[in-house]
Amino acid sequence: MKWPKLRTFLLTALILCLIPATRYYQIDVPLLRLLRGSHRVDPLSLHLTGEFVENNLGTEQNPDGSVTVRMIAQQYLFIPHCILVPAGAPVHLRITSADAVHSLTFNGTSYAVKVLPGTISETQLNFPTPGEYKTTCREFCGAGHYAMRSELKVVPREQFPVLHQEERGSCVAQ
Amino acid sequence: MLRNKLLQRTQKFSRWLSATTLALIFLVGVALVGGAATSLLEAGDNPPDRVPSNVAWTPETIAAASAGDAFRGMLLARRCDHCHGAEGFSAVGYTPNLAGMDKLAIWKQLEDFRARKRLSRTMGPIAESLSSRDVADVVAYYAKLPVFHDSQDNRIFPQNPPEANHAGIASHLVSFGDGDRGIPPCQACHGPVAYRPGVPSLATQNVEYVLNQLEAFANRSRANDINEPMRTIATLLSEDERHALAEYYGSGLGLQPGSAK
Repeated sequence: MKWPKLRTFLLTALILCLIPATRYYQIDVPLLRLLRGSHRVDPLSLHLTGEFVENNLGTEQNPDGSVTVRMIAQQYLFIPHCILVPAGAPVHLRITSADAVHSLTFNGTSYAVKVLPGTISETQLNFPTPGEYKTTCREFCGAGHYAMRSELKVVPREQFPVLHQEERGSCVAQ
Repeated sequence: MLRNKLLQRTQKFSRWLSATTLALIFLVGVALVGGAATSLLEAGDNPPDRVPSNVAWTPETIAAASAGDAFRGMLLARRCDHCHGAEGFSAVGYTPNLAGMDKLAIWKQLEDFRARKRLSRTMGPIAESLSSRDVADVVAYYAKLPVFHDSQDNRIFPQNPPEANHAGIASHLVSFGDGDRGIPPCQACHGPVAYRPGVPSLATQNVEYVLNQLEAFANRSRANDINEPMRTIATLLSEDERHALAEYYGSGLGLQPGSAK
């Protein structure tokens, strides 16, 4: 390959590599936002409309066997307070903050998400074996930060409830 | 020679640039059309959203809620005397004390009563009879009433504040919460350490009222807390802890920051 051609190729490759990097560092590029759909939400009106209304929080079962978990981090709670996911299934986590900067860390695993107000943080998780994990906020968020913890329960596939299209699962005690 | 090469390169680059631009425009177009199509499809069969409260704490809402006229509020508040006390201290256990309460806290509850987001046979019709200006005025009046006793005022304060029998349990929850269960400390939102908009300060509140509300949150008969923090916490608390906390705030201990003892 000749140098000009190679240079063009390398430049294109570099630019393409920067696209996932902007997502990882949560840099807002308007053009890319258009491409991948909006990741912006209004932190003050999460409860009024959109993806994070009360009855949409929790675990949603997707037709392909994966699950989507939607959560809100708020001073000083994660909502829902106990997440239920099936073992071995891909988990798409979508979480946003209603006030300050938080983070969601799954203790004993390598998973951690930074949660910013106004942005939906997305991650793919996978828990191959059943078990219980504590989740912690690792970003100082205020006077009650140290008590901001919740739980994640990974249950065997058979024990995971069958959820209908509009149903959302969680292990919060009623 | 050099000029020729440069020209060639410029031509090449412009071709590459135009191709990339075209491709980008095409991709953006596809994304836009796709996004519009999916949003149209999604709009079709959405289940009705459960909205806990119509209030969102935008700067405009906060400005509207705190722009009341306290004097007009004082005249309007004579209607409230019978239950909430002439000076904001209620003689009845299950009605809240309103003296010195944060403006936004009372305003939000009145708005929720008006919108039937918080259900009450007494407060529902009363709140519905108020205009939004009345609400802001009444709220401004109660926010101005002092919580503390001083030698100049001849108000009737609760005579025998109940004893905090389980102050140890409650004090620990108030100041530290319970990290293992994920219960945040009460004083981080209800004061005096920190507040959040729309959260009532619990400086002096009636025992029965606090207990009733904690139980209502736990069994979901009251569900107007935005993003369900109180429903979650009340469910996590045990029966004993709810009683201990009610007594703690009922005995006026909430005026000081909690301590370990």
